Amino acid sequence: MIRTNRRCFLRGLGGASLSLPWMPSIAMAGKADSVPMRMAHFYVPIGVVRRGFFPGESDDVIPKGNLGNVMKSLGKQNPFASDDPLDRLTPTLEPLEPFKHKVNLITGMDRTFQQGTDVHAQCASCYLSSAVPYTVEGTAWPLDRTLDHLVADHIGTETPFATLEFSCNSHRDNKESIYFDNISWYGTGHLAPSIRDPRKMYHRLFSTQEIDRYRDVTDLVLEDARDLKMHLGYEDRHKFAEYFDSIRAIEIQMDRLEKMKSQLSRVRLDEPPEAYLPRGEYIRLMGDLMVVALQTGLTNVATFMVGPERWDTPFKFESLFDQPRSHHQMSHNQTKMIDDLLKVDRFHMEQYVYLLEKMDAIEQADGSTLLDNTLFTYGSGLGDGSTHQYNDLPIVVGGGGKRVASGRHINMPEGTPLANLWLTQARLLGVPMPRFADSNGMIDALMAERI
Amino acid sequence: MRNAPLRCIEFVAILALTFGSILTVESTPASEPEGTAADALANPVVSLESVLQSHCVKCHASGEDPAGDVALSEVNAGNVADDLDRLQSLIDVLDLEEMPPEDEPALPTEMRQELLAELQARLRAAVAVSNQAPHTPIRRMNRFQYNNAVVDLFDLKCIVFTLPERMLREHRGYFQPASGKMPDEVYAGSRPLGKSQMIESRLAGVAAFPQDLRAEHGYDNQADHLSLSPLLMESFLKLGQSITESPDFNSKNVGMWESFFVAPQPEADLELEVRKRLSSFLTRAFRRPVGDAQLDRYCEFVQRKLARGTDFPTAMKAVAAAAISSPRFLYLYDTSDEKQSVSQVDDYELASRLSFFLWGSLPDQALLDLAAEGRLHQRDVLTEQFERMIRDRKLKRFCDSFPSQWLQLERIISSVPNREHFPQFYFLKYRDSMHMMLEPLLLFETVLIENQPITQLIDSDFTYRSDLLENAYGELAVDPKRNGGGVQAIRFRRLPIQDRRTGGVITNAAVMTMTSGPERTQPITRGAWLASVVFNNPPEPPPADVPALGEKPAEGEEHLTLRERLAMHRKRSDCKGCHEQIDPLGFALENFNPVGGWRDEYENGRKVDMAGTLLRKHPFENVVEFKDALLAEKDRFTEALAGHLLTFALARPLSASDRLTLDEIAATVATDEYRIHTLLRQIVLSEPFQTKSFPQVASNPGP
Repeated sequence: MIRTNRRCFLRGLGGASLSLPWMPSIAMAGKADSVPMRMAHFYVPIGVVRRGFFPGESDDVIPKGNLGNVMKSLGKQNPFASDDPLDRLTPTLEPLEPFKHKVNLITGMDRTFQQGTDVHAQCASCYLSSAVPYTVEGTAWPLDRTLDHLVADHIGTETPFATLEFSCNSHRDNKESIYFDNISWYGTGHLAPSIRDPRKMYHRLFSTQEIDRYRDVTDLVLEDARDLKMHLGYEDRHKFAEYFDSIRAIEIQMDRLEKMKSQLSRVRLDEPPEAYLPRGEYIRLMGDLMVVALQTGLTNVATFMVGPERWDTPFKFESLFDQPRSHHQMSHNQTKMIDDLLKVDRFHMEQYVYLLEKMDAIEQADGSTLLDNTLFTYGSGLGDGSTHQYNDLPIVVGGGGKRVASGRHINMPEGTPLANLWLTQARLLGVPMPRFADSNGMIDALMAERI
Repeated sequence: MRNAPLRCIEFVAILALTFGSILTVESTPASEPEGTAADALANPVVSLESVLQSHCVKCHASGEDPAGDVALSEVNAGNVADDLDRLQSLIDVLDLEEMPPEDEPALPTEMRQELLAELQARLRAAVAVSNQAPHTPIRRMNRFQYNNAVVDLFDLKCIVFTLPERMLREHRGYFQPASGKMPDEVYAGSRPLGKSQMIESRLAGVAAFPQDLRAEHGYDNQADHLSLSPLLMESFLKLGQSITESPDFNSKNVGMWESFFVAPQPEADLELEVRKRLSSFLTRAFRRPVGDAQLDRYCEFVQRKLARGTDFPTAMKAVAAAAISSPRFLYLYDTSDEKQSVSQVDDYELASRLSFFLWGSLPDQALLDLAAEGRLHQRDVLTEQFERMIRDRKLKRFCDSFPSQWLQLERIISSVPNREHFPQFYFLKYRDSMHMMLEPLLLFETVLIENQPITQLIDSDFTYRSDLLENAYGELAVDPKRNGGGVQAIRFRRLPIQDRRTGGVITNAAVMTMTSGPERTQPITRGAWLASVVFNNPPEPPPADVPALGEKPAEGEEHLTLRERLAMHRKRSDCKGCHEQIDPLGFALENFNPVGGWRDEYENGRKVDMAGTLLRKHPFENVVEFKDALLAEKDRFTEALAGHLLTFALARPLSASDRLTLDEIAATVATDEYRIHTLLRQIVLSEPFQTKSFPQVASNPGP
């Protein structure tokens, strides 16, 4: 049954004809009785203004300038566990109002910074790995295979793409290293690169390759690879596994895209325009592509960076400011620019809510919505862009349907690793993982019933 | 090369960078330490423990929170070499006179020298014993190298795809290294900011993969930044086919068309002919001889196509597309025989190191032939090849990748000075930065082509400027009469420099602009840039606790100079000590405004105060004296530039063991008038360049 009031959400880009019809048959890909669970992460760089985001902190002191590595909240935090209804929303959370019953605000989550890199360099890059500091050898980063890939090893085995990585970094200058621009890694030192260009993403998703075009080539070069491997040193052999993995992933992807061909041809989605898009439209277009990928079963796992870490270069936030503004520089000038920074925070929250709306408007075969079957998490690797704190992170877990408690504000006791949340998510998605990175427990309050 | 944090570090917020002290503001005579110094001097043998105990452990004690996270209380002569990076840092802070800080008792000069000599000897000994050079991991080619390699492999007369990372676009063929002379007039364009992007002839229908990001304090060829993913592998597979199937991939554009793609005469033995062609092609593509089994596979691939009725050129295109998707083409690596952890690279590996360093691409036939003869590593042969390569036009690839990254010039792309305050920065639809960015790059190319001393990079007696740039320079201009705002092929003239305030890569408008904010200069950013670029001693990550300095003065601060405002800003005693060391490098350049123009006064009428002391040794009162101070430390600069080049050449960060090599290179370069060819040649002849190393694995040799 198509509900017309939902269809209006399916319009993208200010009414442009971006129509994502309700496609139960596509979403199911032949399995009408079990709706797959998905996971998506919406990453917000450079933290948030705490006063605007966190309940009870509205009168806390405004961080003055850049507080370097203060790395703790300036205001007092509730050090104990609590679990309350999410009632009054703070200004930054306000756009969540229509989804209050389908999200949970989670506070008190902490990470540990490993000395030896810039303080921003681990915010995003290690957000989804949370490895125990100083345990990963040969790197300054506590960086390991990230949650999205670990989860995809279980729930992404049938889709053409095990995971998809989206980024809304439209900067043209080559200012920062990979560690500021990515949250998804196959493993230590092995980047899962994101796509920044909506046209490229569109073509990756919808222009099906003729599988035989590459088959004889891959057969040939794989022989070369096997040969070459014999001549490499021990460490290089490990790194070189990326070549085999990549070829294998492509072969699987081509096979599955081929099978989905007729279904995909029913997706009526215009090719994204080549022209420059204002920031909000650009983010929402990338978001639309992520939603359609989840909806159609092209993937079950996606990560979405709404912007890169640090990267001082200004963005045009057309709907907010007249002049291009640098999010990072604003974060270091909260005493002067707090109102503008709050606008940026709210703007990012609105984009998250836009995607919640889209997902909730897509009905699944069993009458639930795509959102109900997706754990869709908003979060940042910093608790505040000025203090550069890795603790008291801003996290909202959306969706999850009946498996997840909803409409709660869950505060975790001081020192609870963010990895506990990632472990909880993995378990909610059916991944039999005893622990994840530096986790030391689960977040029981998030689960409708103990798993 | 990074130091472990051995110093107090402070940091001015909005600038987002700190750096280790290279300079000091004033040479305040430190109060004579009581007792300790005299005691130590009385004792001819400096004891490491006693110096550390009396001068260091007050702040650097083990326990809760040692300064800069460096604890020295347990360090002694017996264990100082256990941690080579820490040892190197100790040497650096002593050598650069960063420690002890100014408000602590000073180390007497003799004691410092003696201690330094002792520590350096220990480092040398430790490196010799450990015999553990860092390993350069296997890595795929970056986008720039891939483009060049494909061009060279097929001998293309056009490029594969446009590369905005090549900042300085050559027009009318000015780049002729064989001539040893840069023309007095050159035509050049800016890729990232200019209008010349799409006019180059390239292969239609070929889409580039994304530009590779640059490692922090490194280059875009560094292994940890160059891994492969399904996404990229798909790009490479598609690229292989879209290149060979492009309508522009034809006899006109492909130099090897005749010898490879055109069907042999009907009377020829087709099988043999294919084998012959593939053997030579694959050897060049894979940079080493192909084994029989491998050659068989590629031949069978072609024969299968032909048997299915595919015409000859199409079959050869298909096999060429496959070859450039092979890991043997895509990856740069050293082979390991698993017996030795450190060994000399073989001649083929040496050929690849040379060509990827100087040409950003595959070795040519001459290099491969010498490798086949096993002669390339011979010192005279290697030197001769170096001399040949440095005079080849392919050297432009080196100029398109190294200097812009070394100088961090991509930062100018995002510089947007306030349009109201600096209207002169904008012309037509463009920014002056389009011209500015070419000036330091043309200087570098000239120094390289003409084999000039690298000191020209600090303080040159000539420069290349467009008419528009000349006018932008105001009183720093040499010959500002003409007007002109070219955007495509911009004419740059060689101009002699008498006014030493200008000239060199430091005080040019591009660097001054990109190290400023929209409203004001950012001395700390400039200082950080100088520390990284000129001294290869980049700042530590900002760890401190100092409020930001706004772009515009706060109320009641309008009458202050920037230095005074920064001083106000760090009144707290725990900040002061370190800021004494941090600020001055950048302040030395305060006479250059946010768009690189000269100023004696700030807008509020206060005189610019830029005086300082370099390395606690060389006081300066104006920017010319500052340049003299830098030139007085030219050996340090030589070592720093050698470090940058070696990092680039080896595609990895340097280690303590490499530092000894840099010492030797710098010494040799000094004996030959600091000529840049000598510097590059010594890099090529150095031990790290000719050595490969594999970490030893205790047991299980792995899969």
